[in-house]
Amino acid sequence: MRPLVRVLEGIGSTLQLLVRAASYTPTLPRQFGRFIEQCYLIGYTTMPIVAILSFFIGSVLALQSGHAGQNVGYKQFIGALVGLTMARELGPVMAAVLLAGRVGSAIAAELASMKVYQEVDALETMNIPPARMLVLPRLAAVLAMMPVLTIMADLVGWFGGAIVAKYTHFISIDPTSYFANLRQYMDFSDVLNGLIKAEVFGFTVVLVCCNIGLNTRGGPREIGASVTRAVVTSLILILVLDFFVTKALMGD
Amino acid sequence: MQNPQQTARVGLFFVLGMALIWVTFETLSGGKLWFKDKGYEIIAGFESLKELKEGDDVRMAGVKIGDVARTRLAGRRAEAVLRIDSDKKIKSDAHATIVTQGLIGTGYVSIDLGSDAADYLRPGAEIRTRSTPDLNSVMAQIGDLGKKLEGALGNLGSAFGGDGKSPGLLQKVDQLVAENRDNLRQTTANLQQITDKVNKGEGSLGRLINDSKLHDELLAGIAEIKSGAAQAKSFIANAQAIVDQVKAGKGTLGTLVFDQKAGDDLKASLASLRSVSDKLARGEGTLGKLISDDSMLRDVRSLMKKADRALDGLDESGPITAVGVVANGLF
Repeated sequence: MRPLVRVLEGIGSTLQLLVRAASYTPTLPRQFGRFIEQCYLIGYTTMPIVAILSFFIGSVLALQSGHAGQNVGYKQFIGALVGLTMARELGPVMAAVLLAGRVGSAIAAELASMKVYQEVDALETMNIPPARMLVLPRLAAVLAMMPVLTIMADLVGWFGGAIVAKYTHFISIDPTSYFANLRQYMDFSDVLNGLIKAEVFGFTVVLVCCNIGLNTRGGPREIGASVTRAVVTSLILILVLDFFVTKALMGD
Repeated sequence: MQNPQQTARVGLFFVLGMALIWVTFETLSGGKLWFKDKGYEIIAGFESLKELKEGDDVRMAGVKIGDVARTRLAGRRAEAVLRIDSDKKIKSDAHATIVTQGLIGTGYVSIDLGSDAADYLRPGAEIRTRSTPDLNSVMAQIGDLGKKLEGALGNLGSAFGGDGKSPGLLQKVDQLVAENRDNLRQTTANLQQITDKVNKGEGSLGRLINDSKLHDELLAGIAEIKSGAAQAKSFIANAQAIVDQVKAGKGTLGTLVFDQKAGDDLKASLASLRSVSDKLARGEGTLGKLISDDSMLRDVRSLMKKADRALDGLDESGPITAVGVVANGLF
């Protein structure tokens, strides 16, 4: 019974935080500096790891499908396969997972320590709501940066697949035909689909991590527990939401 | 915390990301997502759309000119609404076919170029379609055909060979021949004999066949019979005419037959004749005597002798004297 109550508590407090942060949206221009700083942390510093990971994800996709398809005869469709998989599924999901691991954990740790060391209480004493100063810039920054991260993940993944398809001896498909095949079976709506998913995931991850961080009670040990809980909850939410958002975007 | 360098990096990063999104969008969709070329729509009705689905290409001579906007059922056929680029024109006598491409079931609608003279299809018009036979249905038909053929051959086989219960046609024929072998042989021998005879010109039939003279005679005989028949016909016609006249009471016979008075006369004449002949028989009258009394014959004979002598004597007395002598001798 207690875990269920805690889950419902978490959902409720997250939604409360969302409503409070959204109500401060008009104050965003005055926090432009904080917004840029969060953009830098969420987008710019996350970009290298997203690029490296999606490169290898695209490569391994091409490798696996080429290996499985060499006897079945669909290896000329590797371009479409890698392209669609990266754009519709793995690009957004990998970006969101990396965001949860790299940014979400940092947000949770920062806010948890601020809460534990009573900085949040001090802000509230000064009549500065934490939702406005700590949460809103991060949410706005993730909304701005997620599409950029995702399109990079997609493109780097495609190129990784192309390179592997070209230089693996049992696939050996020219980048020209790889991208021709990709273009034949893909539409920008596939990519847009992925960008929308990435926005949903990124927003959820940041919101959940902020909420868990701000709800930390106790001492330094609880900071670590909060970070763990934030990352685990984020990963679960990403994959659960992935299913429902994908289904909703397919339109049936 | 906030320095210009950081802001610039974030700005660059964001601009780069947006640029990449734009490039991807242009590459994949050709800039046709929001301000997509509406084009115009034409309708193609098919028996079955097979693998065709929304978004599949419409190609004319292999070049993409549009896509399948919607598919729907319309009564007892399936309709595909084709969106054609507004700068592409389709001739009204062009035909649309569904082409299935590859094993994974991607298809497209292929439209041929149509004839040069035809005018263009209007938006919303219906294009002519041609159904391509589905490989599966062709296979099914071939299967059916094979089954029927097998059945027919089986029937034929059992008719010839029998099906265990009743003997087949071949067996029956065999039996018939075996039972009547002697008869058949005899018949054949007879037939052989007859034909031999005919061949050698023996018998009437043989002669008829082999002798040309007989044939000519037969022809002549038939001709005679024919002319005889013609004569008989005219004779009968004449007889008919006479009978007609007799009936009408004309001519002697007519009077005789149909006139009572003439009949009576004839009867009387016949009676007189009877009496005359009776008298003659009885030697009455001169003629009777002449016939029945030979004395007269003797007289005449002697007279003739006398005359003969007289003639001998009067050989040179001239003809007048001779006549006188004869006259004397006679009277």
